[in-house]
Amino acid sequence: MEQPQPAPGSLSWRLSSHPITLLTFLGFRVSSLLVYLFGLLFTDNLVMIFIITILLLAADFYYLKNIAGRRLVGLRWWNEVDPSTGDSHWVFESSEPGSKVINATDSRFFWIAIYAQPLFWIALAVVAVFSFKFIWLPLVAIALVLTITNSLAFSRCDKFSQASNIAGSAFNGGNLAGSIASNMVGRFFTR
Amino acid sequence: MAAPNRSHYQSTPQVDLENNDEDIHDLIDPDDADLNSFDDPLAPSSSTSRPLPQGSITSASQTATALSSRWGLSGEDRAAPLNTIDEPVSATLLRDLSAIWSKLKEVLYPKYLFGGSMSSISDVRNLRLAQAREEIVGLASRAMDADSLLSNNHMSSGLRDWDLWGPLVFCLLLSTLLSLKSREQQREVVFSGVFAMVWVGMGVVTVQIRLLGGNISFAQSVCIIGYTLFPLVIAALLSAVSLIWIARIPVYLVLVGWSLAAGVSILGGSGVVKNRVGLAVYPLAVFYLGLGCLCFIS
Repeated sequence: MEQPQPAPGSLSWRLSSHPITLLTFLGFRVSSLLVYLFGLLFTDNLVMIFIITILLLAADFYYLKNIAGRRLVGLRWWNEVDPSTGDSHWVFESSEPGSKVINATDSRFFWIAIYAQPLFWIALAVVAVFSFKFIWLPLVAIALVLTITNSLAFSRCDKFSQASNIAGSAFNGGNLAGSIASNMVGRFFTR
Repeated sequence: MAAPNRSHYQSTPQVDLENNDEDIHDLIDPDDADLNSFDDPLAPSSSTSRPLPQGSITSASQTATALSSRWGLSGEDRAAPLNTIDEPVSATLLRDLSAIWSKLKEVLYPKYLFGGSMSSISDVRNLRLAQAREEIVGLASRAMDADSLLSNNHMSSGLRDWDLWGPLVFCLLLSTLLSLKSREQQREVVFSGVFAMVWVGMGVVTVQIRLLGGNISFAQSVCIIGYTLFPLVIAALLSAVSLIWIARIPVYLVLVGWSLAAGVSILGGSGVVKNRVGLAVYPLAVFYLGLGCLCFIS
């Protein structure tokens, strides 16, 4: 099945352990950018481009947050609101230490994609400002908010999961009780 | 299905508030209290979001399910110690779709219209009649009634986990439908204008509620207001199929009223200072009316 091996962890989708998830993820990530950049070559309808880009961005956000994140790197986050005070807090969840082997290729693709995307959109925002195409600014702003939220949340989530992994192994060598304890800590880590 | 748990929500805190006055002082949490140590009488189901006494993972999740079945809540408690990392993709999608549907249901079926303070199912009919009479009296009495609604401060489960699918989709639909009927060269302006107006409006209404002391987070409020745009999407759809103008007036008024009723019934319990409910509801009403007028003239 494998070709003359690329080094483990290199950016080739053949090495991925979830190729479909990975390709869908990258597809959503790239397609919103492509539609925004090149959509006007195919149609004059600004509104259509706007809608398609926003829907792709939303789909990308959702897919990354709820599906790609946990399948590729075993991380998940969400935001919860305490109904009595209206304060929101972040909940980070990570797979139990040792129960899941994170594929190096997957995680590299994941982290590169997650950090590169906001940079692209920042560049596009600068372009939009300096070429006086202000009609696109709301779209770029939405894109920035969505992608940066995901980047920040996942990087926090990753930091936290590393911390709790250490804590979990310190408790009692990764048996059930230890992993539960670390999971509980992970759940109630608030911002 | 929804009625019995509502009665659970409302009857419990009400009794607490009326029985003894010193309980009210217990409601004020100490400053140094941990988020998890609050005893929240208003939302019984939130007790599951506290760290459960730790034994094994199975007993913890059993407690959570037992609690949720006791309150007859459908839907999933996000804070329950379930492992969602390894679930299949279909489970994720299904859960989120059902969450969206349950929020939409709260809009389609504004509790407030059918008597926000009803205590048993048998009361529904009477209250609905009474409520219908109040509808005629108009907006003023509605704001007054929101006052009594506030007093039995209920929280719906839809308030707790928010998503932005509703606001996004309804906002896009609204702006698209409204821009369909406009002139060719104005289409983009109409689209972006309505789009911006909806988001700015939601922001203003939310800021207003927060400044009046409401305990609702920004995203929650945007989520709720976004979902309550649904009746206005119907209005925009009617405009898009060129409903005759004379028929628009009553129909749109009803739709705007529907939006407002849904908005008030869900946002009503967000803890605005008691005698300022009218003030909090007013920008919401202006927002819906403005969008309704846009639908009317398009």
